[in-house]
Amino acid sequence: MRGLLAKRVLITGGASGIGAATAARFLDEGSVVCVLDRDVVALHRIQQELPDLAGILAADVTNFKQVTGAFSGALRLMGGVDVVINNAGISIRHNFLEITPEEWDEVIAVNLTGVFYVAQTAAKHMMGRGSGVILQTASTNGIMGYPYYADYNATKAGVIELTKSMALELAPKVRVCAVAPGYVLTPMQRTEYTDAMLEEVNQKIPLRRHAQPEEIAALFAFLASDDAQYMTGHVYTCDGGEIAGGLASR
Amino acid sequence: MQLAGKIALITGGASGIGRATAMLFAREGAAIVVADVNQHSGQAVAAEIARADGRAFFEKVDVTSAADCRRVVERTIRELGRVDILFNNAGIIRRSSVMDLSEDDWDLVMAVNVKSIYLLSREVIPHMEKQGSGAIINTASGWGLAGGAKAAVYCASKGAVVLLTKAMAIDHGPRIRVNCVCPGDTDTGMLRAEAQQLAEDSQRFLAESAKRPLGRVGNPEEIAQAVLYLAGDASSFVTGTALVVDGGGLAGAF
Repeated sequence: MRGLLAKRVLITGGASGIGAATAARFLDEGSVVCVLDRDVVALHRIQQELPDLAGILAADVTNFKQVTGAFSGALRLMGGVDVVINNAGISIRHNFLEITPEEWDEVIAVNLTGVFYVAQTAAKHMMGRGSGVILQTASTNGIMGYPYYADYNATKAGVIELTKSMALELAPKVRVCAVAPGYVLTPMQRTEYTDAMLEEVNQKIPLRRHAQPEEIAALFAFLASDDAQYMTGHVYTCDGGEIAGGLASR
Repeated sequence: MQLAGKIALITGGASGIGRATAMLFAREGAAIVVADVNQHSGQAVAAEIARADGRAFFEKVDVTSAADCRRVVERTIRELGRVDILFNNAGIIRRSSVMDLSEDDWDLVMAVNVKSIYLLSREVIPHMEKQGSGAIINTASGWGLAGGAKAAVYCASKGAVVLLTKAMAIDHGPRIRVNCVCPGDTDTGMLRAEAQQLAEDSQRFLAESAKRPLGRVGNPEEIAQAVLYLAGDASSFVTGTALVVDGGGLAGAF
């Protein structure tokens, strides 16, 4: 990918899963990378695994002061921020009828309000400098309906609309895109499956398998690169064909 | 090099997005089959790739002809042994509403833009299945996702390309990935032909086309980079997608 060498990249939710794989990918491309996460244990683990990281930042994206403080930290550590991977997110599996107000507020706080705090903080910096790329983790759940994740799905649809609106206001200086992963086999996800459950889900996906986190990271790297300099304001899926037809495909 | 040792068949490879993609794929290490009705420009593209130490040949192909589609795939297999990437890119436009479109033009646009994908894919897919892998990329358009003025059959054809892509992705996984790219207005001969068909001043037409968030039309190389992403290992879990490259043109009201 062209144009990633020495780019300064901040990744939220970067201590595990897709975020951690994305940090490793950008390091491979020669970028300078800081990861932000609220899980301090995971932050220290990723620092061990990726010793070339420019730094780790402990912050909760639901707290505006912590976000601006951590962003200042990233600026100090890297001298600037060219690319933000706005990736921190949570999900809770529950029936719609049983979602508590506290659960609803928590999912909205991390996946939508937190994404907004990071996006606006980054955008102010990038508009001041005159360039930048903001990439946000949406989901195929933000495009199609899925049972048991109504709150999560609503936030991911929100991320997609936030992305498009930001792209219009921040163009042409700052590009803003969303990535919509489908089923991704993170270590955490794998522990939630029996072998039979995993195989059942795989059979519904045209490519007959889950994504590796590295495959989502590859899409982030492409979208952040100069090879994608005409791409803004859209959501890009990486889902093995899951939503090409969805439930209507059989 | 992202496509070292790969064999790519590119229709509409003589000009515009097809030509830019042929040149880029060759630089990335692929051998290129340039398929086009335009012999002169097509041979020039193959010659240019060869001069840069790449591997390419031109085959004159009318993509609406089943016999031509069979012949170019047979030659590809005979001379290069396999086919890893099929870029169904040949396309034409007619800037007319249904009221001033001839029946012949309706049939021609649908044949070049849609039927060609069916004709070529059915020749290529058995080889990709035998190889155990393959990537098919179709050129759709932003106007396959949203309507446009005085482009009725073009919009109909590109909408068909988007859903043909998704249907093929479902049918031919897991070994073959099928995706399409949806360019916005791109600086090619076709864009200038549109101004001509609409009897508009070409400079004014291009300036109008640039009215989108990034403030300019795309260039063919930028679309080629997106096609490269869809053809290579970076998109190994991407299939059935419509990848928009339009400077934000369809992001919303602007």
